[in-house]
Amino acid sequence: MSRQASGLRAWALQRISAAYLGLYLIYILGHLSFNAPDSYESWRVYVADPGVTIGMLLFVSALLIHAWVGIRDVLIDYVHPIMARVALLSLFAIGLIGCGLWFARVIFLASVAA
Amino acid sequence: MKFFVYRYNPDVDTAPHMQEYDVEVTRGMMLRDALMEIKRQDESFAFRHSCGEGVCGSDAVNANGKNLLGCTTPVTDLKEPVNVRPLPGRPVIRDLVVDMSQFYQQYRAVKPYLIHKDPLPEQEILQSPEDRDKLDGLYECIMCGCCSTSCPSFWWNPDKFHGPQALLQAWRFLADSRDQATEERLDALEGPYKLFRCHTIMNCVESCPKSLNPTKAIGKIKELMLKHSI
Repeated sequence: MSRQASGLRAWALQRISAAYLGLYLIYILGHLSFNAPDSYESWRVYVADPGVTIGMLLFVSALLIHAWVGIRDVLIDYVHPIMARVALLSLFAIGLIGCGLWFARVIFLASVAA
Repeated sequence: MKFFVYRYNPDVDTAPHMQEYDVEVTRGMMLRDALMEIKRQDESFAFRHSCGEGVCGSDAVNANGKNLLGCTTPVTDLKEPVNVRPLPGRPVIRDLVVDMSQFYQQYRAVKPYLIHKDPLPEQEILQSPEDRDKLDGLYECIMCGCCSTSCPSFWWNPDKFHGPQALLQAWRFLADSRDQATEERLDALEGPYKLFRCHTIMNCVESCPKSLNPTKAIGKIKELMLKHSI
């Protein structure tokens, strides 16, 4: 087992997630500029579309991966005491996972709500 | 011309200070000449220099916030008053003389020599002109340290991050058609520190007095690593 955190994998994931985030942002900004849902119900219908649901879940996953690698980089650079680093990494990991779960909940509720 | 020079002698001083000197500018005067003139005025002042023509890499200093070689920088290119400080992030031994041990350790760590596993040929190992061209922009490094000591990632982790200088040399040997240790070299660079602390800040490219491009070399290493991993 490797004793060290990943270098290449983290870097590659950051690059790939950035590409998806970039493309998705262009799509969503375009969509919201020209075809924005104007009510709660039209938002719900839009998000419940399987393509949109998958696209959004991928967006959130990519965002979380990207944020995690970025935060990890900042902490490796600046926070050297090991216990402080572990504590901060854990804090951000829990926070990011929480954000992801909350977002997933919103998306799934849009699909099941009548 | 007015110079403010960083002075610190740990045997005598409790804290570093900037000392003012006036130097009469002569035609074609380089920063190194000005520092030598300051040394003539005040022999307690210490700085490193040797060849005087941008080859040995001894007289790298930080002038007006930029790392450069004293011997290849005309004083007329510098804004007055000129603030001359030691290379940033390195422990000061005295005045402009800094301890470069970690910089050399990182260089040593990338095994900066050809590793050839096949039996050596009777004469030299042949290389095509095209393969030789791949080493241009890599072998010219004079190890002055301007790049690594201007790199924030190297400031924060000089014990773990190889820094732009050593990584440029790592690529110099990875790119060499005669080298046969590609896998070992790439394996040694894995992990979050040695290579991947580089965040393409590109201070290295800006400060290199030989106009080399460590950021590009680091990008090539990452690319090659990716190719070898999938």
